[in-house]
Amino acid sequence: MELYKFLPKTNCKKCGKPTCMAFALDLLQGKVKVDDCTPLLEPKYKKEYDKLKELLGAEEGKEKELRIDVDEELCDGCGICVTVCPVNARYCPPTLSGKAPDYPPEKHQLFQIKGGKCELLAIKHCRRIEAEGRERECRVCETYCPREAIKIDYV
Amino acid sequence: MVNKRVTCSGCSLLCDDIIISTDGLYIDEVIGACLKGKERFDRVSAKNRIFNPYIKKNGELIKTTLEEAFEQVFKIIKNSTKPLLYGFSTVSCEAQLKGMELACLINGFIDSNSTICQGKVLNTSKETGLTLTTIGEAINKSDLLILWGANAAESIPRLLNKVLFSRGKFRMTGREIKTLIIIDPIKTASFNVMGVRDVALQIEPAKDIDLIRVLKDECCRVNSFPDEGVAGIDKNDLKRLLLHLTGTENGIIFIGQGILNAQNGNSVIKEMLELIQLINAKHEKGRISAFMLGGHYNMWGFDHVALSNYGINHSLQFTNQQLTETSDTIISKIEKDDFDCSIIVGTDPISHFPKQLSKKLISKPLILIDNTKTATFHIADVIIPSTLTGIETDGLAYRIDHIPLNLEKIINPPKNILSDEEIIKKIIRNLKQG
Repeated sequence: MELYKFLPKTNCKKCGKPTCMAFALDLLQGKVKVDDCTPLLEPKYKKEYDKLKELLGAEEGKEKELRIDVDEELCDGCGICVTVCPVNARYCPPTLSGKAPDYPPEKHQLFQIKGGKCELLAIKHCRRIEAEGRERECRVCETYCPREAIKIDYV
Repeated sequence: MVNKRVTCSGCSLLCDDIIISTDGLYIDEVIGACLKGKERFDRVSAKNRIFNPYIKKNGELIKTTLEEAFEQVFKIIKNSTKPLLYGFSTVSCEAQLKGMELACLINGFIDSNSTICQGKVLNTSKETGLTLTTIGEAINKSDLLILWGANAAESIPRLLNKVLFSRGKFRMTGREIKTLIIIDPIKTASFNVMGVRDVALQIEPAKDIDLIRVLKDECCRVNSFPDEGVAGIDKNDLKRLLLHLTGTENGIIFIGQGILNAQNGNSVIKEMLELIQLINAKHEKGRISAFMLGGHYNMWGFDHVALSNYGINHSLQFTNQQLTETSDTIISKIEKDDFDCSIIVGTDPISHFPKQLSKKLISKPLILIDNTKTATFHIADVIIPSTLTGIETDGLAYRIDHIPLNLEKIINPPKNILSDEEIIKKIIRNLKQG
């Protein structure tokens, strides 16, 4: 219904579907694209077109690439991200007691402090990519960084 | 290249899990150390490292040989009757012991940085008693951490990582089981690590003593909290704070520099320690301990060496080669102009002290034993370079929780540079030979 609000609702059948509602249902399932609705491309529907793109973009977000930015200027190498990361905790036992993990790093290890600054090693093992369910919404490194140097983003 | 774990001497936490890769000549990589530790390891070949002895002639510092510098030191000490020895917080315990020996020999007054720092707390604990804890206990057993006037996230970067975020041996979860309470007048970086269950209390500046007194009152008679709250903290928060304090199994109060400042007055430390003792006496289930946060890596070393050898933890006055009782500290000594030369070891009083004290310190001959060019370097009369303890020489150091740790030697020191201990030994030998 969210998507139907922004369609022209004229039932013009230019897209090949009998009604705009049917078009909205197909749009939700990914069978058709927004551009298939030709009246939407007209300038008077520009606002609705942008809204639709934005709404569908949010659902396509899973296909976007995860990026974790570490600001080197702000970071002071406290190592909280290394200790608090659940992936590090599973594969690097020293981090359980707040110690620095072994070197050279284990292949699953996500963060490492080198030269007084935080370094991102293997982003593909991050919980936001590998885990399922609620664990996928993990944001502990970003939440607990005292200098606010870590930013999680989708690009 | 060899990767090995060493003890870092960057700050008082003395992290023993730092990995360095070295070939015996240079340190290539430092892994696991914070920015402070990295800076310490970088100091080996830093721009502001002192590599030569200096002597001041006609107002200018001139490079000399080690022999000449020692001769100048001998002259200055021989002409003085009441020398002042200060510093000793960034040298090994062996050098501190030799420093006290030197002070005894030349009838001087010796003091360390802990006089104007956490040494006050240790001094006051003689009257009230003190419950201490270790970092290991904090990692594995603690469930309540109170940062009182301390910005640990920035001053000792790895402390919160070790104490608050580590999982520990006896608990499956780490951060979730530990409650953090921060009492501070300003919103520091430490506030950013707070979770949902944590308590942030923004207290009015210099009102800590009122809060402690109210908490002490409530411990003795119930429902004595004032309705309007105290020091900018309302009644509900006060109740919550006391509930945490009395309900904890293993709580730790981190005493920061914020409590020790002059605005709070001297009695605040005594009240604080009494509060801890009162709560411990009241509740049977658990206990609360104090944890004093200092900066220099061997600040506690001086206190322990002095306590075990002379029975006082700082401010030792020697007369006729014997310890005499005094109520003076380094500040009052300089203020009264009660000295005629000063020996500074491994610290920078010119940047730390107020202007009028610095001026008085400059007016008398000053001998500096240090490894880095600081503000004191530019006004000293004789400068003798020393090695970096923990990197170029080994030695004993006391951690922040009063645990002695051995610092290892990793690389060889540069030519013609002696360790602090050897320098003081040589001065003593020269003086004894006449």
